[in-house]
Amino acid sequence: MARYTCRRILTGLLSLFVLITVTFFLVRIIPGSPFQRGGVSESVVEAIEQEYGLNEPLFTQYLSYIGGVLHGDLGISYQDPAVRVTEVIARAWPVTASVGAAALIVSLILGTGLGILSAVSGRRSVKQVISAGGMIAAGIPGFAAAILLMLVFSVKLKLLPASGLLSPVHYILPVAALSLYPAAMVSRLVSSTLETELTKDYVLFARAKGLGRRQVIFTHALKNAYLPVINYIGPASASLLTGSFVVESIFTIPGLGREFVGSITNRDYTLILGLTVFMGAVVILVNLITDLLCAWLDPKTRRAYREERA
Amino acid sequence: MKKRITAVILILALACSCVLPGCVTADPAPENAGRKAITVAVSSDTGSMDPAGSIALTYLAYSVSALDELLTFDEEGEIDYRAAESYEVNEDSTEWTFHLREDARWSDGTPVTAADFLNTITRALDPASGSGYANYLFPIENAEAIYNGEAEPDSLGVEASDDYTLVFHLAEPCVYFLDLLRLPVYTPSCAKYADSAESGWDRDPGTSLANGPFRLEKYVPDQYFILEKNEYYWNADAVKLDRITYRFFDDTQAMANAYEAGEVDVATSLSSTVMEMYEGQEDLFVTDLIATRYIYMNLNVEPLDDVRVREAVNLAINREDLCTIVGSDTEPAYNLVAKYMKDRNTGGYFVDEAEQPFEENVERARELLAEAGYPDGEGFPELTYKYPTLEMDSVTAQVVQEQLKNNLGITIRLEAQELQANYSSRHAGDFDLCRMNWTADFADPYTYLSMLMSNSTYNCSGICDPQYDELVAQSGSESDPAARADLMHRAEQLAVGEQFYIIPLYAMKSVNLVNPEVTGIRQIPASGSLEYRYADIG
Repeated sequence: MARYTCRRILTGLLSLFVLITVTFFLVRIIPGSPFQRGGVSESVVEAIEQEYGLNEPLFTQYLSYIGGVLHGDLGISYQDPAVRVTEVIARAWPVTASVGAAALIVSLILGTGLGILSAVSGRRSVKQVISAGGMIAAGIPGFAAAILLMLVFSVKLKLLPASGLLSPVHYILPVAALSLYPAAMVSRLVSSTLETELTKDYVLFARAKGLGRRQVIFTHALKNAYLPVINYIGPASASLLTGSFVVESIFTIPGLGREFVGSITNRDYTLILGLTVFMGAVVILVNLITDLLCAWLDPKTRRAYREERA
Repeated sequence: MKKRITAVILILALACSCVLPGCVTADPAPENAGRKAITVAVSSDTGSMDPAGSIALTYLAYSVSALDELLTFDEEGEIDYRAAESYEVNEDSTEWTFHLREDARWSDGTPVTAADFLNTITRALDPASGSGYANYLFPIENAEAIYNGEAEPDSLGVEASDDYTLVFHLAEPCVYFLDLLRLPVYTPSCAKYADSAESGWDRDPGTSLANGPFRLEKYVPDQYFILEKNEYYWNADAVKLDRITYRFFDDTQAMANAYEAGEVDVATSLSSTVMEMYEGQEDLFVTDLIATRYIYMNLNVEPLDDVRVREAVNLAINREDLCTIVGSDTEPAYNLVAKYMKDRNTGGYFVDEAEQPFEENVERARELLAEAGYPDGEGFPELTYKYPTLEMDSVTAQVVQEQLKNNLGITIRLEAQELQANYSSRHAGDFDLCRMNWTADFADPYTYLSMLMSNSTYNCSGICDPQYDELVAQSGSESDPAARADLMHRAEQLAVGEQFYIIPLYAMKSVNLVNPEVTGIRQIPASGSLEYRYADIG
């Protein structure tokens, strides 16, 4: 297991290195300059680029960037030389992560609850309503849901704030918009796997042993039914924790997604790279944790690793 | 065992969700109760707030309320003295002396002196500062050489003979010099704190001092900044508001929604659909922008090097129809100089004082095209039109394509580009036809006419016309207003109505929503944007 973990970490670092390299050169291929705006004269742009070393050979710039990254230095933002890229991340990530974490919790609780209800309910109408609701929730793209929620609850009913993240109430709409899809997915996964689990022999045995229906569902069947959910929720949480570009823009949330879009529009090379490296690291880390968690929870996978080692 | 693990995971996750929002909402919504305060929605946070730095929208929002330039012009074209109380100029317009207001104070109570103006100028002339406006200092003696590292900084033609006298020595006569003074590079920055672009002084309320009606109270990156009334302002009695909060938005729809939800009092530069939604309501506040949208034709590309072809294309476009389709916030334009730019000496609009450079005429356009060797568009090569992927430009491109196809039988290939990529193509001259938009930097037609001079960096289409260069250069130094206006009209007629170097399309309006309780909002004549220094509420 330790060897497997080490290997996964090394692969992760290698992917990160490839990601930096590819992004570095791709970003430079896009036409434009961080200092080019509608009304800035060409000679001024050139003078400033020279000042920031952007006229040096690309490979030299690449080497110095990699050197900086190894020392934990992601450089300054070209848009605003007073701000370091690490400061932007330190400022924006907690915002994104808090919205993402809240959305994750909401979708897990809601999804699991509805999934169980749909699997154990004897009434067909309950199943149909949950499944139809899930289809709709999974089918509406995040941005459409965000705009709809905003129009209904802020603009028309004036119940909830439309923009910013100034108080806990401001979390409600963006979290709702973000958790719609994952909640629907979790609910479908839980309901279908739980239904299969409930037909298995060990459930019958547990019932025969005299355990209550509720106890059988929660302590035995749900645990097994949860494995695919963990496999799904791993990558999903990676995407929630790195920010939704669209939802952050619609609700004017000062998070990573909004910074990322802004940095690309402004050709803020160092900021684009810094954010890519950071988001890449988060995704790689979360996937690693998911894999390890699955191996830990699932004896079959765990055995597979042991055999591999032998 | 597994149950415990699941429980632990859930508890941890719950704990995270409780702790994280707690630390993130540490910046509570600004409290405005019992005070005269307004909230203004502005486009997202970009650039610094240092007048000598790399500035964009944030500075423009900040400076109109917080910084006093030497002097500016009001809506009637009269001089509005701000940091200066008088000025003198020598006969050939090469030496300009400004006498500063001795009662002007920074927001910490210290006097505003000539050194503070020099501070911005000298820092802006160092390319490291990233100022995109540095070239507007080049009329000053040696400024360009200093910027390019060819002269010593102390050879600059600006001197502070005492704390309250500022003298500019210009390399050549410049009759529109007073108009340049509203630009950031001529705006003061407190010499005591404003040192370099990297120090971050401009976002720190302790060091970012203001010499205007409002001072920086709080700055929260990407969310909002708050300006409080500057009690030391020399004209503080005229300032009614206690506080202005600027909130950043990424998208105009989000801005309009925030206005509708009552979260902001002013939302500017909204899309034209808002105009239809709010038609007839008090909230709607439509202003004229001092801007022209036009198309550059690359003169190095055949057959655009033929003036008959350029004229044909110009005459074949129906701008009335175009504007009807693009949106009610546009109006047909037939000039390079913005439709709503005023001629200060007459008080009227500059373009209205001369004949329209050309009249649309499809019949004549067809004849011209035939004369140029392309009857009914036969044999005419396919030209590519490059434009940014903004909605307005996309619609415009399709209408122009359709009109040229129907009226002249020529085919235009459309190529939408991301905004920055479009700037790049344009600067590199890598286009047949390219969309251009110019919002006035200062309130003088020179800001437009100088763009087409052969040495201008905005001249991207290879225009090289010695006669035009001569006319525009003369207008820069002609001190008689009537003679100067005549030179400029002749230059415009030559470029737009005889040589047809560009295809003017339309002028634009800015669609704003303003809470009807807010009064006293003014429009800055040079750019058309809104100013809140003397606004009031309730």
